[in-house]
Amino acid sequence: MKVLEIKEVHKIYNSSEVKVHAVNGISIDFEEGEFAAIVGPSGSGKTTLLNMIGGLDNPTEGKILVNNTDLSTLKSSDLIDFRMKNIGFVFQSYNLIPVLTAKENVEFIMNLQKRSKKERNERTMELLNAVGLGERAESRPAKLSGGQQQRVAVARALASKPKFILADEPTANLDSKSTETLLEIMEELNREEKITFIFSTHDNRVVKKARRVVTIEDGKVISDETR
Amino acid sequence: MITSTAWKNVWRNKIRSLVVIISVTIGIFGGVFAVAVMNGAIEQRLEAALNTELGHIQISRPDFRENFDIHLRLDSITNLDKKILELNGVEAVTHRTIISAMANTATKSTGVQVIGIDPVQDKQVFSLGDKLIPGTGSYFADSNKRNPVYIGEDLAKELNIIRYVIAPATIDSLRNRDVPETVLSKLDGYQGRRFRNQASFTDALKDTLTKKEASKYGRKITEEAWSFRTRTRLTLTFLDRNNVQTGGMFRVAGIYDIKNKMYESSHVFVKNSDIGRLTGLGNEAFHKAVIRIGDIEQTRNITRQISENFPDLEVRSWKEISPEMAMMNDMVEQFYIVFMIIILAALAFGIVNTMLMVVLERTKELGMLTAIGMNKKRVFRMIMTESVFLSLIGGVTGMIISWGIIALTSRNGINFVKYGEGFEAMGFSAHIYPDISITFFIIVTILIVVTGILSSIYPALKALRLDPADALRTE
Ligand SMILES: Nc1ncnc2c1ncn2[C@@H]1O[C@H](COP(=O)(O)OP(=O)(O)OP(=O)(O)O)[C@@H](O)[C@H]1O
Ligand SMILES: [Mg+2]
Repeated sequence: MKVLEIKEVHKIYNSSEVKVHAVNGISIDFEEGEFAAIVGPSGSGKTTLLNMIGGLDNPTEGKILVNNTDLSTLKSSDLIDFRMKNIGFVFQSYNLIPVLTAKENVEFIMNLQKRSKKERNERTMELLNAVGLGERAESRPAKLSGGQQQRVAVARALASKPKFILADEPTANLDSKSTETLLEIMEELNREEKITFIFSTHDNRVVKKARRVVTIEDGKVISDETR
Repeated sequence: MITSTAWKNVWRNKIRSLVVIISVTIGIFGGVFAVAVMNGAIEQRLEAALNTELGHIQISRPDFRENFDIHLRLDSITNLDKKILELNGVEAVTHRTIISAMANTATKSTGVQVIGIDPVQDKQVFSLGDKLIPGTGSYFADSNKRNPVYIGEDLAKELNIIRYVIAPATIDSLRNRDVPETVLSKLDGYQGRRFRNQASFTDALKDTLTKKEASKYGRKITEEAWSFRTRTRLTLTFLDRNNVQTGGMFRVAGIYDIKNKMYESSHVFVKNSDIGRLTGLGNEAFHKAVIRIGDIEQTRNITRQISENFPDLEVRSWKEISPEMAMMNDMVEQFYIVFMIIILAALAFGIVNTMLMVVLERTKELGMLTAIGMNKKRVFRMIMTESVFLSLIGGVTGMIISWGIIALTSRNGINFVKYGEGFEAMGFSAHIYPDISITFFIIVTILIVVTGILSSIYPALKALRLDPADALRTE
């Protein structure tokens, strides 16, 4: 089943003098259960594409369908709700809420969704255990390593059972050991729980683990290979 | 969750939040306390004016106020009293004979208003008797002595009845009040000299005392050197019922101090029977009836009722007699609230500024929160809750401190005697009992909450306008 369809998407930034064609006509689909990397040199449009897929930014042209819903048809308030239910985000710089513990960070969205306390607790602990941080549930982000914080971020992204997880360079700030651990966890979640991951990266070691690699350059797909 | 996160966010930058909270606390405390002191002073002034100068309602013949014609007297006093005392809310009534006169001592003379009273009856309306300066005699206690006069401290100074002398007893009491021997020995040289007023005395002190000694002990020395000639003779000259100049020799029976120089220097009190005899008007000649009521809020109502009962007389409430007092009484509350609003507005800017910094600092985090599904309403609420916390913590602390300090100081009052001269010249006591109404307290608390909410709106709106994609790109 297709979880994501990108149809002839363009993004043009009209900043003061220069017109930047950041994404220049991309069309790709993603199936449920994929473990896909988007690669390309700096400035090739990876972040721009992921932001549009995640509904954080609007395409100048073209359509994006998540689970058969055209994002452009959603009002901005509905879009936020839609995002919360269907898309999980992992960011390069972890972006956890520093005043909350690991557990509270993971719980945050479930809390906004008004899930019951019991459900919240069970799911949060299950997710933290899945990313190997059950022990650190009560730690604040500042007390965790970068790799651990990123694993909490993955757990948080999974909390609302999204259709897929978008991760923009999730390992860019991590050392190789943490990168390896994070990838193992992601692979395992993908294998066992059938979680769909779409992530961008520069890192060759990360690319090697991907089962599908989409390469873009100058806002265009130049290759799309599945191994 | 949003509330608890907002609370935690407040303490994220502890120092900055504390600075804001403390400045709110100090601002609120400063404002509320200043208002309490002002209000205390004004209430005391009003109390004093009503109890010693005006009474609540005055009745006289319509033209009396203009020409003080001694023939414009109130008729059938007994009937008048009866009718007035029947009214609900009236506590007491007194009558006064009022004559313009010259007051002369051996050395000086000045114009005064002589007020003839029945001391016992007058005491039910006015508390002048309580304002006697201890040691200066009594408030008409010796009923057999003829022609006693009760005068104000300021008049006593003008007429040189009060003077400043250093006697052996003065030195002793100063020693008891911890004035060092070096200063006391310098004072020895002043023995036997009389100073006619405070200014000449303090000037003389400056000849021998150092500046430091003078400023440290000057007040104690003048207080102790203060003395007055007992039973000084005072001649009062006025016109009798036939417009013939007449007068009488009076003796100062006591000196009152009501902290109002203007009033003190121009009002002397004598027994109604004495003045009646001297003017030939007799015992029952009263120009004014003055009424005391139980609840000052009822002033208008009772004044109206009396006017209706006595259409031929002029009935004036204290508010009409002293419009500036009435205005003070009616306007102060509004003034205080405007004053607090100004302070709160200044504080609001501090909060807005801090919260804008917060939003700027957390751009990325706020972008992330929107990305993962926190909707605008919630982002708005979180930032708003944070600012409300900031202003409430500071505001409530400020209110609690104000309440505590006002409660403490209102017991014994605060003494501004150092600056007393200026206060007393305006009729205000230099010893102030801070005081504030519960209503004011509640209004200010509500204003603090409103300020907190208002000053959170702009920063929260700023947070709303963040574009998540842009916000996430910021480093
Ligand atoms: N808000 C913006 N306004 C104008 N131009 C932008 C904006 N955001 C991105 N760009 C431009 O769009 C192009 C694509 O940027 P993008 O961030 O998507 O690249 P990227 O592949 O993610 O690069 P990197 O690997 O460095 O993260 C770049 O040329 C960039 O300068
Ligand atoms: Mg990028």
